[in-house]
Amino acid sequence: MKKALALLLALVMALALVACGGGNNAGKNNNQGGSATPPPQTDEPDKNDEPAPSGDKIDINVIAAEYGQNTKQWWADFQNEFNAANENINLVVEVVSWNDIYTVVNTRLGGNAAPDILNIDVFADYQADGLLLPAQDYVSEETYAKLYPAFLDQSVVDGTVWAIPDLASARAMYYNVDILEAAGVEVPTTWDELKAACEAIKAYDSSIYPWGIDMTTDEGQAAFAYYVWNNGGDFTDADGNWTLNSDANVEAIEYAIGLVNDGYTNSDPANETRYNLQDLFGAGKLAMVIGPNSIPTYIADNYAKANTPEAEQINFAFTSIPTNGGNPSVSAGVMDRFMCFDNGHSDEKIEAIKTFFDFFYDDARYSEWVLMEGFLPATSAGGEIVAKEDPSMAPWVDIVGSCKFYPTAKAEWADVKQGVIDVEQQALLGGDVRELLDSLQSRIAG
Amino acid sequence: MNKKILRRAEPYLWIAPSVILMAIFIVTPILKVFQMAGNKVSRTGQLRGFNNFENFATVLKNPTFGLVLKNTIVWTIAVVVLSTVLGFVLALILNNKFRGRKIARAIVVFPWATTLVIQASAWNFIINTDYGTLNTLLMKLGILSAPMNWTPTPEAYFAWEIACGIFVTVPFVTFCVLSGLQSIDTTYYEAATVDGANYWQKLFKITLPLVKSSLTVSTVLNIIYVFNSFPIIWTMTKGDPANHTDTLVTYLYKLAFYNGRQGEAAAVSVIGFIILLICASTYMIYTLRKGDDEL
Repeated sequence: MKKALALLLALVMALALVACGGGNNAGKNNNQGGSATPPPQTDEPDKNDEPAPSGDKIDINVIAAEYGQNTKQWWADFQNEFNAANENINLVVEVVSWNDIYTVVNTRLGGNAAPDILNIDVFADYQADGLLLPAQDYVSEETYAKLYPAFLDQSVVDGTVWAIPDLASARAMYYNVDILEAAGVEVPTTWDELKAACEAIKAYDSSIYPWGIDMTTDEGQAAFAYYVWNNGGDFTDADGNWTLNSDANVEAIEYAIGLVNDGYTNSDPANETRYNLQDLFGAGKLAMVIGPNSIPTYIADNYAKANTPEAEQINFAFTSIPTNGGNPSVSAGVMDRFMCFDNGHSDEKIEAIKTFFDFFYDDARYSEWVLMEGFLPATSAGGEIVAKEDPSMAPWVDIVGSCKFYPTAKAEWADVKQGVIDVEQQALLGGDVRELLDSLQSRIAG
Repeated sequence: MNKKILRRAEPYLWIAPSVILMAIFIVTPILKVFQMAGNKVSRTGQLRGFNNFENFATVLKNPTFGLVLKNTIVWTIAVVVLSTVLGFVLALILNNKFRGRKIARAIVVFPWATTLVIQASAWNFIINTDYGTLNTLLMKLGILSAPMNWTPTPEAYFAWEIACGIFVTVPFVTFCVLSGLQSIDTTYYEAATVDGANYWQKLFKITLPLVKSSLTVSTVLNIIYVFNSFPIIWTMTKGDPANHTDTLVTYLYKLAFYNGRQGEAAAVSVIGFIILLICASTYMIYTLRKGDDEL
């Protein structure tokens, strides 16, 4: 009797395990109407934990990037509002952290369970694999017209727009007003002035780093863009051909490495990320740094957390990035996107997806989201509202309309991004910039 | 008849759950990695068919791979050898009876019980040029007048990472050896003392041979853990600058998740797997066989 019981128990355990293993493939076909929708995997608020009832409703599942602490709650409220307003649609939004989102999406794709809509930064890889729908198929004309054309241009491959912008951030040069005044220097606008300012600051107080540079794996490509763009260079030419080793690019990177070698920058640009630089800047140990529009919030949050007395808080301002050779100052823009996977949607489902985007880009709702996340809007109406609601954002709304973006629409971008970081780090170790860029160019362009 | 079958099947039924568990969570991912290494893989992770071991060729042709492999060997040997020596010495000390021995043993466990990411962050915090506690301490003591850059070169940074690796590995060796030491019969030492053996003779003729099996276990496990260790290097340098502090594991992570080259990353993973398999099994066969011969 005991043996029979033991046998039964072992069998039950084994079967349970097999069942667990098979669970990975559940909900593979997430086509329209009544199909299984993968339940949210993140620890979203209670109301979203239950698998959504399907019935005759049209299911839309969205994976959204987690920008901040309030993102999950905002999307949970959005989901409830949307489902209440659209009785025939069942929207499920899964908010995933930036650390996991690529793995989550790739795992879903591997299991033929692509989300209907994805909110992420890159799109070219998905487009290259033929997984996306053209943006104009799933965005209503009215909503499409709201988006900045310059932003839409960043998602064009072969003349078709494959993704739409959700928000952006822009960069500018921040400076510590008190340090610059004490060192007796004007705010630099050119590279020569910048070098002179660094020298003066160093002479004033050698314990202060005059200039911040981040050439880390985290965001070294941004440093490349700041110097190259402000020296009249670029990643590509007007026809979209890679021009990584152009003279302007070589000169720009040599200038940046020169600043490091002259001792004008933070001590370890290959390992100090922009967050380290922001901390140094906030602590008054760094005089000038190029950074995103979120720096004031970042520094204010840090002061609040550490109860920093007002006397120890820095007095800072921002201005455009210094340039060379009379070139106009260029701000670097970073943009994230929405894209729609080609899951064989029916016409009704496409209409439902259009409804989703109309609802999301509703001027009031959209600007509320952008303000909540502390980024910059991708629509002109949103820009106006944000500038009005938060005067500190107003100059940024102007900047973002005119800034340059990384060539993320090109399939080689991931290699170029890591390639330019490698060039910078090799150059920091004493490598020849021209040789390094020549080698990168031949590797990328063939 | 039925009883006989049941009796014969019973052990297999009992081990079935763990076999199934291993098949799902260990064997399947390993096979999947082998499959990816042999396939062309798109940036979104889609398999595009067998590509004639091109992933391996690309990886091996890249000069970075040589640098990374050298780093991995230096990292593994330095951490395993030094932590084994230090752990052994520490175990000998902790095996003596002294006041506060229990507290000392508890303290030794701390580095082991703390998450590696926290350990590595703490080390980074200690050696940081601008706000590091090491500089602050030395300046307070009057040894330094201005902050010193403790990581002026990639080699220096790598040395700090190795130091951190040793710090977190020592407790494991210590406790493995300590358990071996405690199982040694004291009469051996008494007999040796009567025969006039000195401390070193006892150490090399009695202690070492008798804790060899414990040392073998800790060394083999350490080779595997340290070779595959990701958090320390990733938290401290991310392999920067220009792969100079990368090991195979951090390198393949970058290949897969920063460069989108999952096929090549899988190939690096397979190469690492084979190296590890050869090293660990050679070491195990060598030491265990030698042990058998002596018996």
